[in-house]
Amino acid sequence: MSSAGSSSTPGMKFYVVLWAGLLVIVVVEVLLTYAHVRPLSLTLALIALALIEAAMALLYFMHLKYERRILFWSLIPALVFVLVMFDHFWPDAFRVTSMRLPVAASSTPPSGG
Amino acid sequence: MSHAELSMEQMHGSVAEERPYGVPTRKLVMWLFIIADAATFGAILFAYGYVRVGSADWTKPFAFYPTILNAIVMTFVLLTSSLTMLGAVRAASAGRPTAIRWLGATILLGITFAGLHLREWAAMIREGWSPSHNPVGGSPLFGAAFFGITGLHLLHVVCGVIAIGVITLLYRRGRVDASYIETTGLYWHFVDLVWMFVFPLVYLLNAR
Repeated sequence: MSSAGSSSTPGMKFYVVLWAGLLVIVVVEVLLTYAHVRPLSLTLALIALALIEAAMALLYFMHLKYERRILFWSLIPALVFVLVMFDHFWPDAFRVTSMRLPVAASSTPPSGG
Repeated sequence: MSHAELSMEQMHGSVAEERPYGVPTRKLVMWLFIIADAATFGAILFAYGYVRVGSADWTKPFAFYPTILNAIVMTFVLLTSSLTMLGAVRAASAGRPTAIRWLGATILLGITFAGLHLREWAAMIREGWSPSHNPVGGSPLFGAAFFGITGLHLLHVVCGVIAIGVITLLYRRGRVDASYIETTGLYWHFVDLVWMFVFPLVYLLNAR
């Protein structure tokens, strides 16, 4: 990452190699899927490979590596924080079912006096 | 340049500060949009993950042929479209007229991706799949998750194809410069980046 701002970016040959590398990762993902790996291991492996692909796309295809460091540090940690918060708070949705009021109490209309 | 414009420029030039991010405002706004959109896709993918883990009768309906093979071809098409977009950005930055051809190739690949996706959807709908119905039994939430996630991504692809088409026309007429192609390219690479998560999590993890 450049600290001084946008600098010269790699040539087309580099991008073709990167594109081929991403295709290889896709092939590995498909092979892993049919390799009878345990579901948890498969899920973790696929997420790890997707993160590697995303990092390559972000840094090179989207040229984030060649922008000022402050752009990276202003955007990516904020996104990671939001995603980690999703991961921490989403399971709370399962608690909603046990938080419902008892049926009798909620369905009884208030007395008119 | 008129005298008034000249004096305005001189005035702004004396007080203007250096851009803190070193990128044009247009590009910075696109980055902010991408981060917000990434959070949207993150939310929908996390929700899919929890719904899937929370459903004891989750369906894994995708056979290698035709669904997974079709998704592999779609991945190849979208990754290649990112490469042609990079070609367009480089050609436009160098002032070469081949930028138009690279952009045309990107549009064609985007349309191909959308066509393959819609063909897959049509086949699934004919089999009885819908956002609220699962024809093979099991959790009906599969249809909601599948059509919701892939539909949101497909919407982004269609918007991207339209945006690249408009930018191509404007660039050809000399109404916009290479920086507009670079900014549109950022969006297109992001669409590709999202698919890198949709393909393994929505297709491969639901393969039979």
